[in-house]
Amino acid sequence: MTQFKTKHGYEGLLIVIEGTDGSGKSTQLELLKKSIQAQSYGVMVSEWKTSRLIANVIDDAKERNLLNATTFSLLYAADFADRLENQIIPALKSGFIVLLDRYYYTALARDVVRGQDIEWVKNLYDYAPEPDLVFYLDMPVDVLMKRIIGTTGLDYYESGRDIGFSTDFYKSFEIYQNKCLEQYNVMKSEYNFKSIDGTKSVKEIHKIMNDEVQKVLDSGVLF
Amino acid sequence: MAKFDEKHNYSGTLICVEGIDGSGKSTQLVLLRDWLKSIGQDVIFTEWNSSELISQTTKLAKKKNMLSPRTFSLLHAVDFADRLKQVIAPALKAGFIVLADRYAYTAFARDVARGVDSNWVREVYNFAIKPDLAVYFDIEPKAAMDRICANRAPKFYEAGMDLKLSNDPYESYLIFQDRVTKEYQKMVDEYGLIKLDAMDSIHSKQVTIRKMLKEVLQSKGVELNDAI
Repeated sequence: MTQFKTKHGYEGLLIVIEGTDGSGKSTQLELLKKSIQAQSYGVMVSEWKTSRLIANVIDDAKERNLLNATTFSLLYAADFADRLENQIIPALKSGFIVLLDRYYYTALARDVVRGQDIEWVKNLYDYAPEPDLVFYLDMPVDVLMKRIIGTTGLDYYESGRDIGFSTDFYKSFEIYQNKCLEQYNVMKSEYNFKSIDGTKSVKEIHKIMNDEVQKVLDSGVLF
Repeated sequence: MAKFDEKHNYSGTLICVEGIDGSGKSTQLVLLRDWLKSIGQDVIFTEWNSSELISQTTKLAKKKNMLSPRTFSLLHAVDFADRLKQVIAPALKAGFIVLADRYAYTAFARDVARGVDSNWVREVYNFAIKPDLAVYFDIEPKAAMDRICANRAPKFYEAGMDLKLSNDPYESYLIFQDRVTKEYQKMVDEYGLIKLDAMDSIHSKQVTIRKMLKEVLQSKGVELNDAI
């Protein structure tokens, strides 16, 4: 009866918003959640690094600079596995629309920039269900820098200071974010991202996303 | 697929013991450590799930029975990676004899017995350093259970209760540890684990291990001065 099939075989929909820090993901996620809710669909939101089990271990370890590139990768993978198996897959099975702030593409970008072998990282996440839609908020580094400096400020790991590109905070951030963007650019076509110009207004971006989601909903996949 | 099968070039020596709980491996390793120390060797001892970074979290999560097989696997990999990079590799570079009570093989045995894909977990651990000597203590699960459960019931994960094999912890233990044992036995060929009979006497096993260790050290040009 439905033409559209979910990509993972579960009943619900898996929708991901990807992008670097400061690209506006959380704002868009909130808007998308509201517009989907308004249509009486079941929505669940899950953010990167929020498992009840491991998230605070990561925060604590980061604070004390205890992480090397390998433990960094594995801890995030454990956090992801816990959320996937305890929240995301059960929600998909029961027909929810699951909105994710970041998916394993984030890990691929960050871990590879930290020198991990990409095939090794892919293996860590190879059991993850394929999303039905991936939105990617594309932002030039100079705009990102302004946004981040104007809000949260330069974080140690988000500036890649653990990698040692530069002892200068600003320089390190610039190099790190540029390298992350290179990885996202590779993934854009590999994983079929719907790339959106992140410098557009919040409203414009929301409309683009909402229209895409609406097309899927109109296909009757969740009826 | 990378499988940490390359010989390392560090000046130190890496020895590990494997086997299910109750196989007597820890006893043997402690005897070996104390002896090596007594003859003036630089020794470092490292145990499974003991990293500063994550071991407490894993223990807590185990207590609450909240781990899926994959999360269980990844948390142990975090622990292993932390110890490998912070403890094992630096000690090997500095020329120590590193004694590891359980190594990556423990993950291959337990995680696969829990239904995790065997290639997947091997790939996760492909950053591990190949040991110079890996000894596996082979024991019937029933005999191991009689040893460790003399005055307590099998623990939740040790008995594989998360897999819902049986409601009876003793029965579940036997089914689960039988799977683990079968995985270990496969690794004797796959990774060249040296199999010892866990039912042999403490003395005879220790004699065998010291002999093997001496051979490994000799091949690296180290002679032990144990004529005390």
